[in-house]
Amino acid sequence: MTSSPNKKNAPEPKKTLSEKEKIKQQEFQEEAVEHINALYNYALHLTMNPDDANDLVQETYLKAYKFFDSFEKGTNCKAWLFKILKNNYINKFRKNAREPGKVDYDLIKDFYHSIKDAQNDNEDLNAGYFRSLMHDEVYQALNSLPEEFKEVIQLCDIEGFTYEEIANMVESPIGTVRSRLYRGRKLLRTKLNDFAKKHGYNTENGETP
Amino acid sequence: MNCTQAQNLMSAAVDGELTLKEQEGFEKHIQTCPTCFREFKEAQKTKNIIREKIIRFKAPQSLVNSILKLSDTPL
Repeated sequence: MTSSPNKKNAPEPKKTLSEKEKIKQQEFQEEAVEHINALYNYALHLTMNPDDANDLVQETYLKAYKFFDSFEKGTNCKAWLFKILKNNYINKFRKNAREPGKVDYDLIKDFYHSIKDAQNDNEDLNAGYFRSLMHDEVYQALNSLPEEFKEVIQLCDIEGFTYEEIANMVESPIGTVRSRLYRGRKLLRTKLNDFAKKHGYNTENGETP
Repeated sequence: MNCTQAQNLMSAAVDGELTLKEQEGFEKHIQTCPTCFREFKEAQKTKNIIREKIIRFKAPQSLVNSILKLSDTPL
């Protein structure tokens, strides 16, 4: 309440945080920073490379902080950040004319192996061959999908966004999101079956409880 | 509702994105159509396997720190 409302012509202080900036900083930390793990994972999936993911998340937060005033309070901040990250990613890789997705799979794989034991199968997966599939097999299957399918599956199943949010992020109508999810999951299912067969897991009756 | 219509709604049914009316029609259809019922169950399982088997990483602490520092700087 210390700031005067009539400060239109006053220059913005540059060296220390103004009251307004302090509030902004606090809101930013409360709203935006908590999504850092989700953003990092998304960046990792997009770039397939921890260093690139790191850079991408940094740039995303830098932009998000700069434009935090344009973030509409009460809307989904995570979705807003994802959209920024996605745009950044497109610009960056278009600019560098570099093809993502072919970068250092072994590095990512090692990453996965290093914390593989972090999870246990839940009840849903305890029936049939799903139990036998390993994390990196599922990861590889997902990753082998065409980009447009992989993307919506990530956003929906891993990140839990609504169709509306996904449609906004991928700049396509909701109907397209629906059909990509449908086709993507079908394709993924086939790939998981292939993996399972290749490794000798029983796929015939195994998945029905 | 026929199979084509049900397939169009399949993913939304898995993700809880159907309207009440769509939900009603969809459920009615899969009760009488074993093919769509099976497809629906498989789509559900595929979603679950992704949710459960894809590992989530923690962002490196150095990255978290640099983001926290970022908002200490006036723009």
